[in-house]
Amino acid sequence: MSIFEYNGSALVAMVGKNCFAIASDRRLGVQLQTIATDFQRIFKIHDKLFLGLSGLGSDAQTLHQRLVFRHKLYQLREERDMKPETFASLVSAMLYEKRFGPYFVQPVIAGLGEDDKPFICTMDSIGAKELAKDFVVAGTASESLYGACESMFKPDMDHEELFETISQALVSSIDRDCLSGWGGHVYIVTPTEVTERILKGRMD
Amino acid sequence: MKLNFSGLESSAPLYGGSNELLCDGFSAAPSFDLPVTSDFDGFQKNSIQMVKPAKGTTTLAFIFKEGVMVAADSRASMGGYISSQSVKKIIEINPYMLGTMAGGAADCQFWHRNLGIKCRLHELANKRRISVTGASKLLANILYSYRGMGLSVGTMIAGWDEKGPGLYYVDSEGGRLKGTKFSVGSGSPYAYGVLDSGYKYDLTVDEAAELARRAIYHATFRDGASGGVASVYHVGPNGWTKLSGDDVGELHYSYYPVEPAVVEQEMTEAVAA
Repeated sequence: MSIFEYNGSALVAMVGKNCFAIASDRRLGVQLQTIATDFQRIFKIHDKLFLGLSGLGSDAQTLHQRLVFRHKLYQLREERDMKPETFASLVSAMLYEKRFGPYFVQPVIAGLGEDDKPFICTMDSIGAKELAKDFVVAGTASESLYGACESMFKPDMDHEELFETISQALVSSIDRDCLSGWGGHVYIVTPTEVTERILKGRMD
Repeated sequence: MKLNFSGLESSAPLYGGSNELLCDGFSAAPSFDLPVTSDFDGFQKNSIQMVKPAKGTTTLAFIFKEGVMVAADSRASMGGYISSQSVKKIIEINPYMLGTMAGGAADCQFWHRNLGIKCRLHELANKRRISVTGASKLLANILYSYRGMGLSVGTMIAGWDEKGPGLYYVDSEGGRLKGTKFSVGSGSPYAYGVLDSGYKYDLTVDEAAELARRAIYHATFRDGASGGVASVYHVGPNGWTKLSGDDVGELHYSYYPVEPAVVEQEMTEAVAA
């Protein structure tokens, strides 16, 4: 089993009409054994920017702490929040700094940029950015997630339909993966509010 | 170089003496043509590796006052991918004997069916049913003769014969153990925990079934390679019956229902002044 599959994870982000959704599973395991069923993989950077980190749990937590530090410094110097595109470039640069000893994570960045236009992107473990207009996926269940999202996604969904779609895509994919699951965690972000929901899933 | 195949000639090669059962031409062990390859050891190693990840499962069986309780999950996994959530892991050898499947699915299915054939032939030849001891020995001897060839079988033979309930653990390394409580597979440590703390010889059929179901449920919760449906079978003096097949996802919420969250502060619309 590769180091990316050591803890197990599933992440997906989707774009809707003036909103976005980001969702993850809740399992933390040590190979096949499940240790926790409430592990936090999605972190808020500021009200309109969320970061999901799949892969090795330890590197996900460490990288999150370092990024929060860099963002706080940015806020002090610039007196404003970072734009999602800028944040993505920051993450990419930090990952490439460790090119020959990388963080074993695959980040998913989702935010509302200028004029509240939704922005999502994912990267590999050494910072190659992949911008998408519809959805991005990461984690051990990524292949199933690609299939589920491709068939369920429609452009310009409103936030309720987007919640249904992303939840169904996540749950059906993690039900086919031994290493992720045990519930789901979904954030729906619109220009005016952030809704956080826990999904009831199969606990096997 | 001609390879030495004498170990594969019959299913009881070890003691040299011929067994009546094998001389009748019907029940010699099936012989398989070996592949023609220049690197037989490498081929063996690859075939062993191919089957290796597959002991992802949880099966258990225990003897109690009313007979034998046998239970298993139903998930088949290939590395991280779940290939099926509805695999039958309890194999019905004949109406009074059950076998459990752990390891390679094809290996378990084939050799259990082969064992069923041999048991039936024994009945016809000897005018009485084969004992659980005898059946498990037949299987163990076959598996021993294929030792090192890459078969992956971790099975329990459970049945009721003239001596009462019988339970044996047989595996592809050639091991055969008689016992009263076994669990096999990657989820077995979790199942043992629940089984050991709840086991008593004097359980009723319903209590024993609930213990077996709970043990499988806890194993599917903690082990990533176990899941799907928890099937529970009971073997009594009149043969086996299937008691239940519960989806483990639903079992979780019946054992641990979701409490509605206590709302501490609720936002309401501000009244326009």
